[in-house]
Amino acid sequence: MVKVGIPRALLYYEYYPMWRAFFDALGAELVVSESTTKDVAASGVARVTAETCFPVKIFMGHVISLIGKCDFIFVPAVRSMEEKVHNCSKFLGLPDMTRAVIPECPPLLEVDIDMEKKRELYSSVYALGRHFTWNPLKVRRAAKLALQSHGEYKARMVREGKTPSEVLEGKSEQRDGSSSVALVGHPYLLYDDYVNHRLISRLEGQGVIVLTPEMVSQADMKQATHELAGGSYWTYEDEVIGAGGYYIKKGVVDGVISVMAFGCGPDSVMMHILDRYARRERRPYTCLTLDEHTAEAGLATRVEAFIDMVRKRR
Amino acid sequence: MRIGFPHAGNVYIPIRTALQELGVDFVVPPPTSKRTLDLATKYSPEGVCLPFKLTLGNLIESCELGADTLLQAQGFGVCRLGYYARGQEGILHDMGYNIEMVKFSVSEGNKLLGFMRVFKRISGNASWPKIIMTLRFGLSKLNAVDELESLTHKIRPREEKRGETNQVFKEATLAIENAASHSEVIRLRREYTKRLQSIPQRKDADPLKVGIVGEIFVVLEPFSNLDVERELGKLGVEVVRTLSYSRWVKYSLFLNPLGVDEWREVHKKAWPYLKRDIGGDGWESVGEKVLHSRDWDGMVHLAPFTCLPEIVAQNIMSHTREDLPVLTILCDEQMGRAGMITRLEAFADLLKRRRTKLRSEGLLRN
Repeated sequence: MVKVGIPRALLYYEYYPMWRAFFDALGAELVVSESTTKDVAASGVARVTAETCFPVKIFMGHVISLIGKCDFIFVPAVRSMEEKVHNCSKFLGLPDMTRAVIPECPPLLEVDIDMEKKRELYSSVYALGRHFTWNPLKVRRAAKLALQSHGEYKARMVREGKTPSEVLEGKSEQRDGSSSVALVGHPYLLYDDYVNHRLISRLEGQGVIVLTPEMVSQADMKQATHELAGGSYWTYEDEVIGAGGYYIKKGVVDGVISVMAFGCGPDSVMMHILDRYARRERRPYTCLTLDEHTAEAGLATRVEAFIDMVRKRR
Repeated sequence: MRIGFPHAGNVYIPIRTALQELGVDFVVPPPTSKRTLDLATKYSPEGVCLPFKLTLGNLIESCELGADTLLQAQGFGVCRLGYYARGQEGILHDMGYNIEMVKFSVSEGNKLLGFMRVFKRISGNASWPKIIMTLRFGLSKLNAVDELESLTHKIRPREEKRGETNQVFKEATLAIENAASHSEVIRLRREYTKRLQSIPQRKDADPLKVGIVGEIFVVLEPFSNLDVERELGKLGVEVVRTLSYSRWVKYSLFLNPLGVDEWREVHKKAWPYLKRDIGGDGWESVGEKVLHSRDWDGMVHLAPFTCLPEIVAQNIMSHTREDLPVLTILCDEQMGRAGMITRLEAFADLLKRRRTKLRSEGLLRN
């Protein structure tokens, strides 16, 4: 059986069930890289220039860890998920960048996802399926199954109030505490325990219920994005501005913590919008910026101080 | 209604001319300075890129001069540019300026028509022929200045007396900026071309040839890149730069809609390494390196700190098979002139040695 490597980084948290359904239907075996460790991060950091954002460095580390364990590595280039809403250049150039900085990596399975060019999208997905089958109908069926399981995955998280790490990795998180905090940001920052220094369990350890963007329905996020920013500009804007705006507006949580990677282009503007909105609505809000130099003690202090502030305020 | 607009290299020349000809009340913000940058960093999001900060600074300074209607570019690219007008409008409102932001697209749709509509709107419904004439007049000034500037790139490293080229070019810019008619622009262009060419040049000069590529704003705004072109010229390096606003206007506004793709060759060269448009000028940066690896001695790659497309380009660029030394300079508000000059000097030394070596092996074209 052909082995396809999936780096446990970036879009993995958002789309893994979709990819699994697709490759399963085509009869490929998936190899997911292990959770991020210090070595994985260090090997990624060594390959790319210093200015590159931390999540991309982590991604490269995962690709390196998959070398020798699979025949292909799946690296999609996601340009846009809806019309006139674009993604960060780093997602677009991801296959090209991976090939450039890791020349020894196995052949990449690339797919261009651009909802503005529907026709090219179909041929791109077919081209991806061609690696496994000559039958276009089989690819079509696989793609349908993939979309279906993606929908189910998303709906399940909203319905049951679960995080991707609970659904994908079977972790269980506590749902009782004396106060609640919404954690907003991209999934690759929120659910990678190495990157955020176990932020979720740290909060839960202090008796805080953690709510995440995945628990908000698509429609609510869209509406909040529209109110705050006049519609999405970036592909993953909803999980930051949409979710953050929703939690701030509804007041169902005691405070909002947003998490961004240092040097992240889209987040640099999104966090600013959120920051201004929280200020206007007079809600506790803080933004944690992460990179490879983030020290655990410093992060813990900031989180504890924020929780103390939130509790005193009540 | 008083119009204000941000600086971006010499873009103020055609805008100023057009507004003047149309009889609109306007202000030209003071040239970008340390004060502009301080104001901008105070009110901008912390991690946003330098072009956002500098243009916001210009807009704040325009508001201080009484502007209430501001021009700003927008568009749907894969970079933050599309967010500039929106974000800056919000920040200015928060600061208490009651302004209106007139946005024009630089990335989609019929850009030429968009520009003309903006001018029609702010001029209080001037006639179309009048708008076309004034835009043509403004653009002829831009073309003249850009043409003279590319001539200075050749002359500066060869001049006998340091600083003479800069002096003549400064006079030329000022004269063209204030020219009253189209024919005067043509005359000045001819006159200053001659004057630049008659600057005494060293016979034995053998300047290095260094290409300048990168993100268009920082490449073309001398304040943001700390005058990298002049500093290179002082070091005896001939600068080659493809990007310019007159070229952008020529292709994006007039020729691209007709199906001419000025970057075709460059994109083709980038293809083995980068197969997709990654937004901004990233694709072109990679392609230019591959295209000119034999006829340039080196390349200076300029980008704002945290620029999305250029970081991808930077990562890919260093792994191409075609060998060309690249110095990437990331521009932000922390940048210091002395540090940059040291890096440029070291880079020029490296290039000189490399050229001597390659020449002795007979591997170089020039």
